[in-house]
Amino acid sequence: MTVPEDHSTEPGASTDRSAVARLVHATKTFGTGDAAVTALNDATIDFLEGEFTAVMGPSGSGKSTLMYCQSGLDRLTSGHAYIGDVDVSTLTDQELSVLRRSTLGFIFQSFHLVPALSARENITLPVDLDSDAVVDDAFLAELASVLGIEHRLENLPSQLSGGQRQRVAVARAMIPRPDVIFADEPTGALDSKTSGELLSYLRTAVDDLGQTIVMVTHDAVAASHCDRVVYVQDGFLVDEARNPTVDDVLDKIRELS
Amino acid sequence: MIRRTLKLAWFKRNRYALTVVAIALSVAFIVSTLLLTTSIADVGDPLRAAYTDVDVVITGTEVAGGDGPARAILTPVPSSIVDDLRASGFDAVGFSDPYAQILTATGQAGGQDQAAANIAEPWLADSPLNGFSVIDGRPPTNTDEAVLDATTAESAALDVGDAIQFVSDDGVQEATLVGIAEFGGASNDPYTSTLLLAPDHPVFGTAQGFDRVLVSEGSATPTIGAIGTLAPDTTVESGASWIAGEVDALNDFLGFFSTFLTVFAVVAVVVGMVIVTNTFTVSLSQRTQELALLRLVGTTRKQLLAQVVLEAILLGAVGTVLGIVLGLAGVSGLGWFLDVLGLVIERSNTISPTALGIGVAVGLGVTVFASVRPAWKATEVAPIEALRSADVEVGGDSARRRIMSLAVLVVGLVALGWGIAQSDILFTGVAIGAIFLSLYLGADQLVRLAARITRPVLGRAGPTGTIASRNLEKNAGRTAAAASALMIGISLIAFFTLMAATIGQFIAGDAGAALETDLVIQGIGSQPEPAIGDAALNRIAEIDGVDALVPLYQTSVSPVGDAEFERAGPGGGGGLGTTLTDIGALQTAYRFVVNAGTLASISGSTVIIDQATADGLGIGIGDSVEVTSLAGQVELQLGAIIETSLPGSPQPSIIGALDLRGQLGVDDPATAAYVVGPAAASTINAAIDLPTVEVVSRDDYIDGLSSNLDTILALVYALLAVAVIVALIGIANTVSLAISERVGEIAATRAAGASSRQIFWSLLAEFGLLAVVGILAGLAFAWVAAAAFFNTLSGGQIGTPTVDPITGLLIVAAGLAGAVAASWFPARSAATTDILDVLRAD
Repeated sequence: MTVPEDHSTEPGASTDRSAVARLVHATKTFGTGDAAVTALNDATIDFLEGEFTAVMGPSGSGKSTLMYCQSGLDRLTSGHAYIGDVDVSTLTDQELSVLRRSTLGFIFQSFHLVPALSARENITLPVDLDSDAVVDDAFLAELASVLGIEHRLENLPSQLSGGQRQRVAVARAMIPRPDVIFADEPTGALDSKTSGELLSYLRTAVDDLGQTIVMVTHDAVAASHCDRVVYVQDGFLVDEARNPTVDDVLDKIRELS
Repeated sequence: MIRRTLKLAWFKRNRYALTVVAIALSVAFIVSTLLLTTSIADVGDPLRAAYTDVDVVITGTEVAGGDGPARAILTPVPSSIVDDLRASGFDAVGFSDPYAQILTATGQAGGQDQAAANIAEPWLADSPLNGFSVIDGRPPTNTDEAVLDATTAESAALDVGDAIQFVSDDGVQEATLVGIAEFGGASNDPYTSTLLLAPDHPVFGTAQGFDRVLVSEGSATPTIGAIGTLAPDTTVESGASWIAGEVDALNDFLGFFSTFLTVFAVVAVVVGMVIVTNTFTVSLSQRTQELALLRLVGTTRKQLLAQVVLEAILLGAVGTVLGIVLGLAGVSGLGWFLDVLGLVIERSNTISPTALGIGVAVGLGVTVFASVRPAWKATEVAPIEALRSADVEVGGDSARRRIMSLAVLVVGLVALGWGIAQSDILFTGVAIGAIFLSLYLGADQLVRLAARITRPVLGRAGPTGTIASRNLEKNAGRTAAAASALMIGISLIAFFTLMAATIGQFIAGDAGAALETDLVIQGIGSQPEPAIGDAALNRIAEIDGVDALVPLYQTSVSPVGDAEFERAGPGGGGGLGTTLTDIGALQTAYRFVVNAGTLASISGSTVIIDQATADGLGIGIGDSVEVTSLAGQVELQLGAIIETSLPGSPQPSIIGALDLRGQLGVDDPATAAYVVGPAAASTINAAIDLPTVEVVSRDDYIDGLSSNLDTILALVYALLAVAVIVALIGIANTVSLAISERVGEIAATRAAGASSRQIFWSLLAEFGLLAVVGILAGLAFAWVAAAAFFNTLSGGQIGTPTVDPITGLLIVAAGLAGAVAASWFPARSAATTDILDVLRAD
């Protein structure tokens, strides 16, 4: 599961880099018989180290299913989902829990912070859950400072604004220095200014720390912050582009729908 | 709207299932106890029917009051009065109710239940004073024939024509059963097993007087005044008045029993109400968004309230119907349980519509009442809430509760102080109620406190422990109700256990420890008590290995002019229990602790009194006390004061020498005896050769003294089990509601890498801690309540409530196990819920 700690390569120049996450002939079917819906159809894709990838597509296209199956939250009907060299479909619930707390990070549209824990405790949750791991306080301070929440760490989620909550969620995803962060519509519940700030932070994480991010979105502006955009329609991977602009994305979406 | 409500309720059916069960159990409990109470047979009807021709009844002076089926001890009415009445032209018959225990075909004591009186009565041929009429066979015509009441004959499996045996004070007797009789249209004289024998049968010959004389119009017209002059120093009253007195005595006892059952029914309803209120509060607060959405699309507040209340009515109706069905089954279960316990309550099989009506009213009423306040609060929701995101907090208004809780606590403590100081049970009762209310109102504070205290420990278990502790504290306002419900159940169980254990200790404790006999001979529970017989005592004294034989003759006396004097402690009844025996021999069987005076002085009217009774009477060594005995008023001198009297139930207050028997009018044989020496119980049993008397070891005897308490305790446990089950359903309900409210948070924690095991233990820790708060509060409250009652009732004589640590631990363990079991499945299912189910719902 180890991935070389190599952050020196330029973003975008991806072909010589290793895949952090990988789908191979991945198919996911919901229901059976006439009611069966194929949400993901024979998808094969690599998510490369240090790359910021947007997964786009109309509602119901299968973009969220792709992310859930890739991250091990959901199981494929057939095919394989790898995180590093590990096929997540072979892992037990316990092993998946360990994988999530140490190797993966998640950001959700509606934040999903634990209301009983302070911002700091929410951020360190994945590390605290592992009795052997110790929180890197310097890294926590750096994250808080970069995200602008250093003065809100002792507050409960209910005392934070939506943008602050999402930044706490980002810090929580970052703290274990995961191999890959999965973000599911992270800007969906934010206003345009706040979401702009969040996206530039994610961009910085990729550029400065070599963080790998896979982001599901239907926001063309969000996608334009990415190195690569992958389009999904009716469960098929239909297209992809590098260094997209907002207009490129909007055109493609119009074409797809 | 009804359709929409039905649809919504159906959608939430899993969430409401446990609430319906809680309502159903509460209703079932109240219905079954009410049905049992109303089915208790009216003993007045057969008595009035049997004694229509009884114009006047003469009884002696009361020496000691009766208690329910146990009859009062009266001075005998001289037999000469019957002759005088007859000479004056009255029809008069005296009854002495000698002991007669029917035996089954296998030689065992049989007939009606042991607690009923087992007596012989003369068959009064062609007399209007005969309450019995033969329904099968014929009346007895000579001394080797007998008739039994129908209930006794049936339960002893005896038929007309059978050769039968019975035990009287003279030993085993034989007869032929020639008939079966009924009493006043009922199959037996209430609470009595009657053997009807020819009037010249020897069992009637030994009485020096009668318990009562029934008088009917003969050739003279009876007037109470005219008979009063013929029977001085007796109580003369009309037949109707005497019957009313008998019925009252029985109803007093049954009334106590009904009250007892009703108290438990009310407890079940209170617990049920706490749980229903809690369910509605939690379920409505977590439906804030749904309700807001309905407001958003134009539902008025009134419509919303109506919808929520309609939902409550629906739940109440389903729960009530289930409850009534369960209650009908429950009443036979309860009756069966009473029979098993040997509590004799004559019952009819009628189903009272009132009982069912009350069940319906309670089931629906409680549910609607419990739903109105949460519903009203829930409908205050602003439509905008529908558009807000999920992490919104629901604040609790705990400041007012805290102040109320403290205020009620202060009131309770003041009342408690007054109640104990004045020995006023009413004040103590109110105080206990107030303290309980204060605990109920302050339960959320206790839960918060527990969360804070345990946080360092739980925090060591990692963030899941911290989450458990924080959630417990944060949600205390809502989840505390579940702790309260458990507190009610546990406190009741602990209260009754403490009462029984402490009273048992009082009865058997110090006195029991001082009993050094090897064996005890005693009658097998019946009333009047079966005698051992002088012949048998003589045979026992001859047995090798019997070093000392101490026969005990028992009676009661009442201090004259001190009618209000009641023996301190349990056992009740009026009068002072009195045991007459060989004081010298007794000292080999019982280690006396003499506080004053000397045992050597005890003979004739000089007696031993225990310290508590001497204090109660306010007498010391050398003082005398005038008492009413079976032989009239007698003066007793106090020769010795001992620390504790002989063990026994009721415990004797006075111990006298054998030569006091004549002065106190005791002509009944000994009913118990201590045997000191290595002789085997079986050898002594063979020498007695009576199925109505048993020989037990000292330890078994001491254990047996509290067996009545154990019986009552078993009944209390059975009744409380229902309340505790309802409380545990409350816990399960609270857990599943709290969990369903937190699915988002749980999914987030899971996504952050928590394993399902970590989530499971976090939830279990949280609700286990909640249960611990309920259990500890319940135990503490029970101890305070028991101590308060003891101090009020006995002025501290019974002492501090104590229970052996094993029983205490068992109660805690059972409560905790119940709570863990109730939280286990909801916690498990929450811990293993697919994270995606929650994330997709976004």
